[in-house]
Amino acid sequence: MNTIGLLVIILFILMVFVGGGQGIKAFLGLIINFFVIFILIILINWQFNPYVVTAIMGTIILAVAIYLGADNADVADTAFKTSVIVVAILMLLSIVIQYFGQFQGFANENSEELEGLSLTVGLSFSHIAMIVMVISILGAVSEAAMAIVADLNEVVQRTTDMTSQSLYAHTRIIGGQILGTAINTLFFGVLGANLPLLIWFVRLKYSLAMFVNAKLLMVEVVTMVLGMLGILLSIWLASWFVVRRYVRQQKVGINNERDI
Amino acid sequence: MIALAAVWLFLRHDAFLYQNPVGEITRVKQHTLHHITDEHNNSDIVINQTLTIKLLNRHGNVTVVNQYVASQAMSHQYRIGDQLLLEKIGQHMHILSLKRDMVVGTLIALLVALLLLYNKWRATSWLLLSMLINIGLFAGALILNVHVKNANVLLIFSVLATLFAAASLVLVLGKTLQMAVTLLTTLLTTAMTIAILLISLRLTGNLGVHFETMSYVTQVPATLFMAQTVIGVLGAVMDEAADIVAMLFGVRRERVSVRFIDYWHSGMTVGRDIMGTLINVLFMIFIAETLPMVFLMLRNGNNWAYILDQTMNLGILQTIISGIGIVLAVPVTSALVGWIMSRKVMTP
Repeated sequence: MNTIGLLVIILFILMVFVGGGQGIKAFLGLIINFFVIFILIILINWQFNPYVVTAIMGTIILAVAIYLGADNADVADTAFKTSVIVVAILMLLSIVIQYFGQFQGFANENSEELEGLSLTVGLSFSHIAMIVMVISILGAVSEAAMAIVADLNEVVQRTTDMTSQSLYAHTRIIGGQILGTAINTLFFGVLGANLPLLIWFVRLKYSLAMFVNAKLLMVEVVTMVLGMLGILLSIWLASWFVVRRYVRQQKVGINNERDI
Repeated sequence: MIALAAVWLFLRHDAFLYQNPVGEITRVKQHTLHHITDEHNNSDIVINQTLTIKLLNRHGNVTVVNQYVASQAMSHQYRIGDQLLLEKIGQHMHILSLKRDMVVGTLIALLVALLLLYNKWRATSWLLLSMLINIGLFAGALILNVHVKNANVLLIFSVLATLFAAASLVLVLGKTLQMAVTLLTTLLTTAMTIAILLISLRLTGNLGVHFETMSYVTQVPATLFMAQTVIGVLGAVMDEAADIVAMLFGVRRERVSVRFIDYWHSGMTVGRDIMGTLINVLFMIFIAETLPMVFLMLRNGNNWAYILDQTMNLGILQTIISGIGIVLAVPVTSALVGWIMSRKVMTP
């Protein structure tokens, strides 16, 4: 039997076992997102406007990831609102960065893979570089937003008499911790993914000048830093949304009591 | 803001730090050379640029001819004001790379500035310190891996991963019970995940896994892949375990309780909410990386099945393994925290 097939089955069983119905939904979400990226590739290949396609597909991916991942509607709404705003900001930033840094395409290190492939394909790799940056931050942004909103919600539900000050203190403590660990996730993810490239650079004794300027490495660093910015912004924005909603709900509650 | 501008200005004028010649483009003269159509009917434009470059850490000007293709898959279009890293081969100057340190440096400065704005000075410096330490550890492991003959790659990077986890958790959370619990669950789950991977590979005899499609390979790809996976899984599992543990400790701060079952339920609820999106994080990183190659192969008239096999095979495998680790972390963390907490209440 195919190894990947076997592992997919193991993953599915674990997700159902741990997450129940929600696990099935999350699994479905992954498969749907895989197809959304498929559609994105096809649309870009047909030369549709890359900015429009990325914006629309990015929103769909976020929606699928968040709404099929969480089962609490409040959590999902807040997280979605946050992620869309943050990704929009980062998309603008990535366009600026791509303009100045020119991170597109391949480099000499790729020559072996590129053998026999035509490189004059009439597709702007500059746009593709922007798409790669945006897609790779989608996950990190939505994850950070979900984590903080879910945690704060759990704390709010568990503790009945909480002042908005105490909630605010919680956002600081939990936010700081999520920030630290989420940034680490991204850091390790990128490090792991680039292990072969880094070994290549060390083995072939690249100069320090190439380490800090080489396209292949720098594009990864930029993607990682963008992701970290995304995590930070979404924690910031999401905790603000949660506290604001909580304060408003409390006010409504007090007003109702007065009416009685 | 001022600090950002200062970093940008410094990196724009740091040419004196370089041993290679560095130059800034002062004039660009370009003309279209010809239109070409390749064997797959993709049409493109080849353009010739004559660049006048003012050297910044040497004296004088040089002229370099640069040819690029409009799609810029491998060639670059340069503009006035771009700084270039050059190399002298024989009599001719030749472009090594665009100088990108100012873009990257400014972006990193922006991140640090925002982190400082959000967090207090102390927390931010710990976080950055932990990343620097990790980069140091990683560099050490890389050098060890490159210089020791017949090194056990998986062992080196497993030890590295353990150190990574310990260092980052101690620095972010401090030497607390919370840190110890998180570290324990992280290591336990990562070990379980790798065991599942190894058993599955053994059972199926690596069928359908194309280790040979890995890029930039300079040593045995299969073990390199394992090392990659250990690091990736560790990061994700650590994140998740830390989130769940942080929340459970938050509950405990508000209300000292309780029985094992309370912690178990809370942990599972939060875990369920975040596991799907966490798998998405790694999925997006792994898939996005393959996109340029997918486009290129698609345009070269390859069919989807072949492209999937050649470019996305290992990315998908890695996503699935990480997914298994992330899902496993939920029950492991909830049970462990519940067990420790319930014992702590009984024996104060």
